Amino acid sequence: MSNNIIAFCCNYTLSVSEQALKQGGLISEGVTIRPLPCTGRLEIKDLLDAFVSGAKGVVVVGCEKDACHNLKGSVRAEKRVKHVKGILKELGMSADLIEMYFAPRKGSEPLVMAVEEMSQRIKG
Amino acid sequence: MIIAERKPLNEIMDMLQGVSRLLVLGCRGCVAICSAGGDKEVGILASAIRLGCKNHGLSMEIDTDTYIRQCDPEYLEPLKELGGRYDAVLSMACGVGVNFVADRCENVRVLPALNTSFYGANLSSGEWKEMCAGCGACVLHLTGGLCPVARCAKRLSNGPCGGSVGGRCEIDPEVSCVWFAIHARMQKMGKADDLMNIMPIRDWRTAGHGGPRSRKREDLLS
Repeated sequence: MSNNIIAFCCNYTLSVSEQALKQGGLISEGVTIRPLPCTGRLEIKDLLDAFVSGAKGVVVVGCEKDACHNLKGSVRAEKRVKHVKGILKELGMSADLIEMYFAPRKGSEPLVMAVEEMSQRIKG
Repeated sequence: MIIAERKPLNEIMDMLQGVSRLLVLGCRGCVAICSAGGDKEVGILASAIRLGCKNHGLSMEIDTDTYIRQCDPEYLEPLKELGGRYDAVLSMACGVGVNFVADRCENVRVLPALNTSFYGANLSSGEWKEMCAGCGACVLHLTGGLCPVARCAKRLSNGPCGGSVGGRCEIDPEVSCVWFAIHARMQKMGKADDLMNIMPIRDWRTAGHGGPRSRKREDLLS
């Protein structure tokens, strides 16, 4: 439970399932992947609720800025992540516990790396 | 519209000390339009408070609702009964709404979640600017439609001060001098000479200096 991470990603930035990543030993059991049609769909409340539900860290992996399937979805997600960083700071938490990542299409490595980086941040 | 902004979370969390049942109550009027206290902001604030409580090991039951307006009596009717079930109602309305809840719902402990800032316009998504001071004695017909009361730092009535440089205000180079803009606009309309007519000293009683203001329209009174 010490390294619970929730990773939001879009259909285009992850090509395999959470189960496959876990079976391959690429992410730990504490990681939950929540795929979305587009990270632009994420609301500030969703990101806060991820922490409320027990996540120690949250990562959002969206399309590269100039290659978002929905044009501006990942840029919107980035702004909301930034807003949540501000709320975390207001609550006396580290803003580094949430991060936005931009990834090329159809791979799993960027998400795995993002989760690993967040895991390191949580360990501090 | 009325522009407002959420209070800092530490201030809100301080207000909520000892509260175990909370209603976060939004308003779908001005504060929803300026993204300070509508349905979305209610959800965000409730989640932020839940997270704050979790961090401090506190237990708080939080409900959310948003009324059409908190400044009209008919919409507050349900709150008279419901509000008493909570230790506090955290209103995300402007100060008008908070006052009105306090006036109308005597058994409700109402707390403000927002700082009510000004009367402003929406310049673009996420950006608002003060345009009216609600002074009660409009002079916009004399100033090309631009308000020297709301938009001049010194509220001058008869032209710019010595701190106006290149169309900018001395308080901040990002702030344009409204008197510079008034002159430019009047000149464009061929009415710059009208600005030679000196405005008399203002009577600030209409701006609230004469006590709380009210208005009645006889034909609508019940």
